[in-house]
Amino acid sequence: MKRRRPFIALFVLLALVVAAVTATAISAKPAKRNANSIEVLSLWGGSEKDAFLKVTAAFTKATGINVQYTAARDFIPDIRTRLAAGNPPDIGILPRPGYIGTLAKQGALKQLSSLGLSNAYMKANYTPGWLALGSSGGKLYGVPAKANSKSVIWYKPQSFKKYHFKIPKTWNQLLAITKAYKAKGLVPWSVGAGPSQSQWTLTDWFENIYARTAGPAKYQRLFTGKLPFTDPSVANAARIMTQIINNKYVLNGVQGVLGQSFVGGIGDVFGTSPKAQLYFEGGFVGGIALQQVNTALKPGKTIADFPWPTIKPSLDHPVVGAADFAAAFKSSPEVTQFLKYISTKAAGTIWVSTGAVNSPNKRVSGSAYPNVLARAEAHQLATAKTFLFDGSDLLPGAFGDTWGFALQDVIQHPGNIKSILSDFQNKIKGQF
Amino acid sequence: MSSQPLPAPAPAAPAPPAKGRRFGLRARPSSLSGFLFVLPALVVLVIFLIYPAYYTTRRTLYEGAFHFGFFHYLGIDNFKELLTNDKDFLDLSKFPPGGALINNLRWLIFYISLSLLIGLGLAVLAVRVRYERFVKTAIFLPMAISAVAVGIIWLLVYSPNPDIGILNSLLRGGGLHTQSWLGNPSLVNYALIFAYIWASVGFVMVVLSAAIKGLPADVLEAARVDGANEWQIFRRIMFPLLSLPISVVTIWLFINVIKVFDIIYVMTGGGPGTSSRVIAFTMYEETFQNGRPGYGAAVAVIMLVLIAPVMILNVRRFRSEKVVA
Repeated sequence: MKRRRPFIALFVLLALVVAAVTATAISAKPAKRNANSIEVLSLWGGSEKDAFLKVTAAFTKATGINVQYTAARDFIPDIRTRLAAGNPPDIGILPRPGYIGTLAKQGALKQLSSLGLSNAYMKANYTPGWLALGSSGGKLYGVPAKANSKSVIWYKPQSFKKYHFKIPKTWNQLLAITKAYKAKGLVPWSVGAGPSQSQWTLTDWFENIYARTAGPAKYQRLFTGKLPFTDPSVANAARIMTQIINNKYVLNGVQGVLGQSFVGGIGDVFGTSPKAQLYFEGGFVGGIALQQVNTALKPGKTIADFPWPTIKPSLDHPVVGAADFAAAFKSSPEVTQFLKYISTKAAGTIWVSTGAVNSPNKRVSGSAYPNVLARAEAHQLATAKTFLFDGSDLLPGAFGDTWGFALQDVIQHPGNIKSILSDFQNKIKGQF
Repeated sequence: MSSQPLPAPAPAAPAPPAKGRRFGLRARPSSLSGFLFVLPALVVLVIFLIYPAYYTTRRTLYEGAFHFGFFHYLGIDNFKELLTNDKDFLDLSKFPPGGALINNLRWLIFYISLSLLIGLGLAVLAVRVRYERFVKTAIFLPMAISAVAVGIIWLLVYSPNPDIGILNSLLRGGGLHTQSWLGNPSLVNYALIFAYIWASVGFVMVVLSAAIKGLPADVLEAARVDGANEWQIFRRIMFPLLSLPISVVTIWLFINVIKVFDIIYVMTGGGPGTSSRVIAFTMYEETFQNGRPGYGAAVAVIMLVLIAPVMILNVRRFRSEKVVA
């Protein structure tokens, strides 16, 4: 036995060396990426992803740089973990300006000017409103990639014709149509705000109502932390929301809303065996309805949209919309080339020709849009007197989701609106 | 756990050949080789289990920054907040109480008891049918499906649209009101539990049915000769003899409950609101979605504290089993 000792010592030494090597290997920086390729991470799937891949294909053709597309539906955890591991994607496409601010404060994002996209260059392609949303602390981080209006309501022109309904201009007219549908034995609305993670549709309902009842100034202050959610204007807007989202007017009642997904709700109205008449969500509903839900739909005949009606005449109808921004986590010549490319008119034109998205780029012409639905949305965005960014996306971190949860609570317990709002205010206090 | 105090070595002079669990750092040179044999496993354990557990526990004392560092010391504030002030985790202010912890308790009670009951029933019955193999395969099949797919399947089953959801289509066919299974906070947890039972009952059945087959035939025979009816045989003979496999399966089910996550993530995202969150889901949500790694770590530690006793029990049982064998 004793003679074996040196051998054992040797073995221990070997084991330690192996352990040490493994440890260094683990802590070592991730392998250098392929010099001629960049990784872009985004939450786009379906028609939005296809549209983006057309743009990246054109980019690869023009520059020889490959684009590796990573889809992350649940993008916040994905980006958080990859940042923590020191291995972020080259470019991330962020749907929430609030999150751009969060990341920029942590020093995770590269300034556009340091990448060679000067402020003058950006101003030549985008209006100041868009650039403000892609900025944090006065510095520009995000290239506006695609935009959508969220102030449209989807209806069936043939059904409106049959019942002699006119496009509603005011909330009361919209309520009248809702009641008329109900009186005819039809279900007026479908709302998909349930599993899994579709609560954001409720935040869009709220935002449109809030912008029309409290006005753009209060809207900005509320979603940037300068006005508490306990302000009476918030409870008022939430109450108006329940004038439509209640057991009377939505398919399967409030619990049907919480059991239906966003896309499922589109199917309730525009699917092959429709059950409801009206649906509210952004311009992207058109692309999803035509390409994923029911290919037999005819834009302008069986599906169309009208702008959100006014509630207070003095406040008119501001357009609530959302946009996704491309921001760089790493700097390299390839990243610069890519960001430059997607901000060109050529890239914007390819993008919008798919009918899936709108371009915030002011140099993309209206004729590039392939159908009447997409063109109408582009027109609404381009001519909006007041444009407000999707408020829940301005909230910090993941509070956009938390706000959606609170609104799920609101429609179930309209009597408890005050306490629900004060609970939410307690959570978000100090987070801006 | 590998550093548990060990039974004192036998006083007898010629030491018996060292058994795996008898090693100790202070052991005689002759058992050094035994130590060396477990060393690789030990290294792996330390790197992948002990160190992360230590790291996580230490993180509970901090607020934490986005790169999971030790940032802004808080002491036990995370636990205080979690257990007394977080209605999404534990809400005792209403009746029935709510929150992730209570939801987990619901899972514990209904998921374990129903899985066992249905699994045992199927195991006992499956042995008696002619198409045993076919029946068992059919029931075991969901076990082979990933939890994500299970979630999607049940998302369709529960769909509020009766043209898609089979459950609502049955209700409509029977002239009843359709239900929003996942949209109703008082139903959602049970709907999830039932889907998960569907996915795990096959395993329970297979284990118990194997155990039933291993029962000594002569004992059952003798009981029959003595005039016991089938229920008495099941109640007085089979059931006591099956207590060991049942407890093993129960522990498996218990661990499943504490770590249940995927099916909730896929089917409800913890909603509506936060009404179907469980502990594991809260950990994920707080750490990665809300960016509060310290708070998420506190949830993880609570989870560990809940699982550890059961694991210790399990290990003990395996040891005693060895002795019996």
